[in-house]
Amino acid sequence: MNIPAKSPASSAQAEEAGTSMYAKLRLAMKDPFFWSNWIVVVAFILVVVVFGAIKPHSFLTMYNLNNVLVASSIPAIIAVGQTFAVTTAGIDLSVSSTMTLGAVAFGLAFTNGWPVWASCIAGTLAGLGCGLLNGIIIAKRKISDFIVTLGMLSVAAGLALVLSNGRPRQIVSTQLSTLAIGGVGQIPYLMMIALVITVAAHFFLFNTRFGTHILATGGDPDAARSMGVNIDLVKIVVYSVSGTLAGFAAMLTISRIGAAEPAANTSILLNSVAAVVLGGVSLFGGRGTIFGPFVATLLLQALTNGLTVVGVAAYYQYVSIGLVVILSAALVRTK
Amino acid sequence: MKKSNRFLTVGISVVAASALVLAGTSSSDAAVKKLSTIKIAAVVKGLDNPYFISVKAGIVDTAKALGVTANVQAAPGLNDDIGQANKLDALAGQNYDCYIVIPISSNNLSQGLGKVTKKGKPIINIDSPVDPASLKAAGGKITSFAGTDNTAAGKAGGESMVKLIGKGKKIALIAGLAGNVTSNARIDGFKAGAAGSTFVGPVNADWDTTKALDAANQMLVANSDIAGFFAANDQMAQGIAKAVAAAGKKIPVYGVDGIMDNLNLIKGGSVTASVSQYPYVMGKMGVEACVVLAQGGKVPAWTVTPHKVIDASNIDAALASKNNLPPGGYKDPYAALIKK
Repeated sequence: MNIPAKSPASSAQAEEAGTSMYAKLRLAMKDPFFWSNWIVVVAFILVVVVFGAIKPHSFLTMYNLNNVLVASSIPAIIAVGQTFAVTTAGIDLSVSSTMTLGAVAFGLAFTNGWPVWASCIAGTLAGLGCGLLNGIIIAKRKISDFIVTLGMLSVAAGLALVLSNGRPRQIVSTQLSTLAIGGVGQIPYLMMIALVITVAAHFFLFNTRFGTHILATGGDPDAARSMGVNIDLVKIVVYSVSGTLAGFAAMLTISRIGAAEPAANTSILLNSVAAVVLGGVSLFGGRGTIFGPFVATLLLQALTNGLTVVGVAAYYQYVSIGLVVILSAALVRTK
Repeated sequence: MKKSNRFLTVGISVVAASALVLAGTSSSDAAVKKLSTIKIAAVVKGLDNPYFISVKAGIVDTAKALGVTANVQAAPGLNDDIGQANKLDALAGQNYDCYIVIPISSNNLSQGLGKVTKKGKPIINIDSPVDPASLKAAGGKITSFAGTDNTAAGKAGGESMVKLIGKGKKIALIAGLAGNVTSNARIDGFKAGAAGSTFVGPVNADWDTTKALDAANQMLVANSDIAGFFAANDQMAQGIAKAVAAAGKKIPVYGVDGIMDNLNLIKGGSVTASVSQYPYVMGKMGVEACVVLAQGGKVPAWTVTPHKVIDASNIDAALASKNNLPPGGYKDPYAALIKK
């Protein structure tokens, strides 16, 4: 929704200092990546318009749009983390169980009398731990990210079960339920958190030196290395970012369901990968966007919400969502 | 009615549009709402489990038979607690007359249910109960619960087994996850039903067939005089049956749930009996309770759905029933309250 007039991809391209806004824009328009970035926005608007036309009094209500924003906030944060991994031509398959481990760590801390903020730090640190371990093994042992994070998917899920003894812990906190239900105006708190993270991640990736290193590592690791980029550090940082965000998102999950559940929710993983690809991030690395995956998450959630509101039977929903993912991905890939 | 009065007073201070809607609902108290105008929303667990497909069939068939509209939604996947909450949130904003829910965990739907209650709509909770504490914190209220009484189901199994093997024998017990409420209720119920017997266990086999097989093997080695096995669900009963067969013994094995696989094993003779639950009936009663409430009627706060011991004597009737309905019928407190 909050797509800046300037494409995020263009800032990666327009490295030369002093180019005017107009020249930047013209440069961006020639970049096929600019268009693949905007297709997801068009698709999102299309979904809203179509469902709005079918069920204007149910879908296009403030209440329901609020639902879409709440539903999008957690997957959006996970998708931002995933974007970092994918931008370096990697992937983080462990996000769903990292989030579960974060939730269990939060639950343990909270039920032992820690305040919400300290429990949140505990959950985030658990996520950071998973991410850090992923990154170090991938960078130092040169093992495929696919295998390492797949292993971590199982390790973190298992640890969550061990630590929680397989049982959910109920988290009753008025602070957390206010966080889940409340908002400023029509923007829910959860979405505001997701937006802040998205903007910060965009700034980090496109406006800092380290961000450029991340993009360079994904684009051509050998060239990046010879330019003096510390590839190992880049790998460690991107998986740490992904893990930390997953651990942090655990708190938002707990705020919504009122319990720290030890069971991993794999649809979070599938959603994040789908959003990253739909958002126009190249799976081969080097080309990233933060707002693309963010809008793609909104698209996926608006689609699920719309199908539910219209009353499409559950079985057909799987088919339609899968088709939209494949179709949009096909469009995004058209150069 | 007290409820509509409160709504009307609130309505005065609210915008004209919503006041109109509220007036609409309160006027339906006077004339009974026509069946064809009743809309029901249902959010069930993942349809990757035959049990919940059966619940869904019960809801859809009953809605069709009564002529009401039902929108049945399911959790998008196994363990997708947030996904299920999103579905309920999406439906809570719409003008359904009543909501039927089966939560994935006892907490995950509470906030959505709070929204439903704030709109003054009734909620029927079937099969797995919503946790009362988290529901209260979210401002939600369950109008009626319909599900199996697990203690009574266990007790029926215990009584049936004692009838089969005689009093004062040794019975081995295999339970589900440690601390699970459902498992505990079934085991405790069974012990009460088979009072006077000696018990081995319960050993926790986490609802799992393989774990139950291993546990049963160990129990058989340690106790050569076991005269019967009771498992808290059918999957575990299947594991026990394998262990008993491998040991070359003929010991009765009882399970709970009445899943199709196990009914076939009862027919084949390797499992002795299962205390069946009736998910189709739960779905059916959910719709009926909703219709009664939409018509302004009252329903009991807690309804026990039927359970039945299925063994060699009635297995043919059980297998012949298309939607796996209990042989010999059952009591349905809601059906008679519907105004056609």
